[in-house]
Amino acid sequence: MPAAPFDYEAPATLAEALDLLGERGPEARPLAGGQSLVPLLTLRLARPRLVVDLDRLHELRAVRRTPDALEIGALVRHRALERGEGPLALCPLLQEAAALIGNTRVRTLGTLGGSVAHADPAAELPAVLRALDGAVVLRSTRGERVVGAGDFFVGMLTTALAPDELLTAVRLPLPSPGAGFAVEEFSRRAGDFAVVAAVAVVELDGGAVARARVALAGVGPVPARLDRLEAALLGERSGPDAIRRAVADRPLGIEPDGDIHASAEYRRHLAAVLTTRALERAAEAARGAVV
Amino acid sequence: MAESPTATQERLRVVGRRLPRHDARDKVLARTLYAADWQMPGMLEGAVLRSSYPAARITRIDTSRAAAYPGVAAVLTARDVPHNILWTDVPGQTSIVGPLRARVQVLADDRVRYQGEAIALVAAETREIAARALELIDVAYEVRPGVFTTEEALRPEAPRVHEESNLLATWRVRCGDADEALARAHVVVEQTYRCGLIDHAYLEPEAGVAWIDADGVVVVRASTQVIEHFRDVADVLGLPHNKVRVIGPYVGGGFGGKEDVTVEVFLGLLAYRTGRPVRMVWSRQESLLARPKRHPFTLRYRTGAARDGTLVAHRIELTADAGAYAYLSALVLLYATVTAAGPYRVPHVAVDARAVYTNNPPTSAMRGFGAMQMVLGYESQIDQIARRLGLDPVEVRRRNALGRGDRLPVGQELDTHVAVAEAAERAWAALGPPRPPSSPRHRVGRGLACNLQPYGRLVWLRDWASAWVGLEADGSVAVRTGVPDVGGGQASSLCQIAAEALGVEPDRVTVHIADSALTPLAGTTTATRQLYMSGNAVLVAATHLRDEVRRVAAQILETPVEQVTLADGAAVAASHRSVPLGDVVKECARLGVPRSHLGVYHAPAGDPVDLERGGGRVFPDYTFGAHAVEVEVDVDTGAASVRRLVACHDVGRAINPQSVEGQVQGGAVMGLGYGLMEEIVVDRGVNLTTSFASYLIPSALDVPDVEPILIESGDGKGPFAARGIGEPPIGPPAAAIANAIEDAVGVRITDLPITPEKIARALGLLSGG
Ligand SMILES: Cc1cc2nc3c(=O)[nH]c(=O)nc-3n(C[C@H](O)[C@H](O)[C@H](O)COP(=O)(O)OP(=O)(O)OC[C@H]3O[C@@H](n4cnc5c(N)ncnc54)[C@H](O)[C@@H]3O)c2cc1C
Repeated sequence: MPAAPFDYEAPATLAEALDLLGERGPEARPLAGGQSLVPLLTLRLARPRLVVDLDRLHELRAVRRTPDALEIGALVRHRALERGEGPLALCPLLQEAAALIGNTRVRTLGTLGGSVAHADPAAELPAVLRALDGAVVLRSTRGERVVGAGDFFVGMLTTALAPDELLTAVRLPLPSPGAGFAVEEFSRRAGDFAVVAAVAVVELDGGAVARARVALAGVGPVPARLDRLEAALLGERSGPDAIRRAVADRPLGIEPDGDIHASAEYRRHLAAVLTTRALERAAEAARGAVV
Repeated sequence: MAESPTATQERLRVVGRRLPRHDARDKVLARTLYAADWQMPGMLEGAVLRSSYPAARITRIDTSRAAAYPGVAAVLTARDVPHNILWTDVPGQTSIVGPLRARVQVLADDRVRYQGEAIALVAAETREIAARALELIDVAYEVRPGVFTTEEALRPEAPRVHEESNLLATWRVRCGDADEALARAHVVVEQTYRCGLIDHAYLEPEAGVAWIDADGVVVVRASTQVIEHFRDVADVLGLPHNKVRVIGPYVGGGFGGKEDVTVEVFLGLLAYRTGRPVRMVWSRQESLLARPKRHPFTLRYRTGAARDGTLVAHRIELTADAGAYAYLSALVLLYATVTAAGPYRVPHVAVDARAVYTNNPPTSAMRGFGAMQMVLGYESQIDQIARRLGLDPVEVRRRNALGRGDRLPVGQELDTHVAVAEAAERAWAALGPPRPPSSPRHRVGRGLACNLQPYGRLVWLRDWASAWVGLEADGSVAVRTGVPDVGGGQASSLCQIAAEALGVEPDRVTVHIADSALTPLAGTTTATRQLYMSGNAVLVAATHLRDEVRRVAAQILETPVEQVTLADGAAVAASHRSVPLGDVVKECARLGVPRSHLGVYHAPAGDPVDLERGGGRVFPDYTFGAHAVEVEVDVDTGAASVRRLVACHDVGRAINPQSVEGQVQGGAVMGLGYGLMEEIVVDRGVNLTTSFASYLIPSALDVPDVEPILIESGDGKGPFAARGIGEPPIGPPAAAIANAIEDAVGVRITDLPITPEKIARALGLLSGG
């Protein structure tokens, strides 16, 4: 079925786009890469009166480096992240995560801002944002605000974005140079969303874990941080045995729902397997990086 | 008994060549006008209102608001349909429920029996208006209790789906004394298997356009495997059969899903009512929701074998979920019953099979048609017997393999070559030396599965096909035959056959297909019958024509007719003197010798047999094959992936090896999806998988390169001794994968699809978790 009829605007500047949303926000939907919105339109799960195409807003394609963070424009595509173009190469974790998104066609069109704003519970980039304690920049005619990832993701496909706001950029604090990272995921079919994905970042001090961060996708309505596990790993040895024990010894504190692709029980199992694998690989990378 | 005609020319010039198909280029360039691409001036768009509930009484339908909506040309409900029933006759149903006249209501009258059942039709100026009109139709339902599993449906107090019993059909086979033989067997393996509800999932959803032509004939141009549904359209409209014409464009995938009526009758009704051309294109969700699917089966097997692995007995109980309407369920069940013991010699066999109505989506024809579901049963059983006895899996199959002259448990004697053992050996050997697992957390295993699949329809349906072949004055050739081409290269292969017989290059042959008014009828493109049946009909016609032409050429060349051959577009004498074919055709015209011929091929025919009392011939013949797979299992997640798949079938003779390999590869990939991923999930009659995001079919990255091996035994009942290959390759993969998984990690999965979660559970990874 084709989409229900809608008006279409393609503003040339961010200011114009924000004006449009200021006037018609509640009945409007921004369009970025269209890889999530277009299916919603053709399935008629979304029926906006107005679609605001962001494609001409070149100002949202910039990538800026600050001393300890990257500020990445919302319209930067998955493909650019995957290739580590320009300053994006400073965060190879993004490369690894973006390469796991869908297929080449999806990555060529899909955008970082679209993925974060869409907030699919199984998406990789929101989990990366969560793992690195990132934040998003939101703009409207009312002004600008910066919201941390922990507050931005509110529920399944639901965020702190107001109807008149655009997500203009994502801020990612860069992990310390010696940090190791890994993304491990499981999907039923090549090119699909993950059933569960695990993002791990490990920093070592000597042979011991100085800081470990783990975020999971696919185990609840929003990306989950495994705080208790992270705390338990502090000061532990970084070898596979210690990691396996740490994961096995305590509940991960997640409460996934089951669906047609995986029961809740299987998702919990996958979460443990993928967390272990991601931590092992991140720790190994950190050991390699330190030397 | 009818014999297949054979070509007398000893050396084949065109048959057996790897030729690009004549339809390929246009398809790649997006020039093919598929059913939905057809446009006509003044064309309306049709749409279907479908039931929201799987079991309900319709207490009221109010169409007034929809009818009054601007741009709406017609709104039809059951009351507007002249004859609201579609019939399928099932001859020879020897079951306790009696002969079957399977019926489907065109539009729901006062009951809906599955979610998605058609209730009303709309024709409007645009798709958008049609969609809006559907929303404006007001239907009041009184929800009724339904039955959603075969167990539920068979309980005595269960709500009935129709007035008659929920037991829709049964078949029984008794051959020898299975119980007694099982009691004496050295080893007995008992197991229950379940195979799931799946969809055809073709690229092209159901679509078509209908109009009334200048002679008042209702013309339906629709994506279909069966142009002879023109009779159904006529019966529903109350018109003479010769006032309806169905044209079949190239089809973007059928697999049995376009064997039953889809859009044809709806389009006929709307065009007839409005007098205007009407198009109808089902959305993907509609296609996944509403069209009949593959029968899920429960298969209970008790199998006995001697110490050396010789099979002695099977006791088999089969239960199929037919969903809410019979469609072809009784026949699907018959295919299952006939093939349930597999391609093996088993002296004592008892089969009890039943198909049951439920309020689930209806099930009907799909590639493999009941026979393919059985492979999981008989191939898992024989593998477990080999394992128990410590025998080599290939050796056990070789020892039990059927041969020419053996009889199936239903009493049919196999009168052509049977290549089971050879296929098993070749497929297995082609796997080559084992390769190491890709990580320490992976295990590798191998599995084998053989199968048999009938080609051609039941002999008691007295199947036939006709084809017209004509020579033009320039020596070019026209073939006319009512064959729907569903993408398997049906039309292209007919070119090759006519070209072979008449000694011309295939590009000198044009085939006109699939028009019920203008092409001689050739039957359905189903049941692995089209190359076999219409190929034989074309060969009959072309061979007849060749002989006429040779007679006339002999006069021109002043040489005995036996010494004239047709080659390279000319008639050639033994002396190598030749005359162009066009000149011979002109001479035929001058002499009044016919330059065309209508060929008819009759398949072997017979009366319905009593399967319980020795039976006899049920199908014309069978295609045999074997697949070998190498599978890798992740021991932490349970995910299984197929690393290698070798698919070997005896095709008798490959008319176009490239097309045959395409059939084998496509079938194997579909079989792999059936084994590992595909599942229509239905929760109390409600379909949860109506998009390709939830209904998973394998992508190119999920399958290995399928390696086809074609055995050309030179024995088969099709043209040039070909055997049918459309359905057979879908059969073995699921069972071969199940066998390989046991080889890899020691667990036996008995339910399809074999999801990672099921393997993880069998490995004990989830217990207590
Ligand atoms: C086959 C397939 C497989 C996929 N697999 C994956 C996968 O494995 N992992 C994964 O993460 N994703 C996957 N996706 C989704 C893909 O990553 C999308 O690109 C992403 O979810 C949305 O980005 P987009 O740029 O396409 O946004 P759009 O589809 O254009 O928009 C998505 C939503 O975000 C809103 N929006 C977009 N940009 C902004 C903005 N700047 N400010 C405010 N709101 C905005 C839109 O209004 C809409 O509601 C898949 C998609 C497909 C089709």
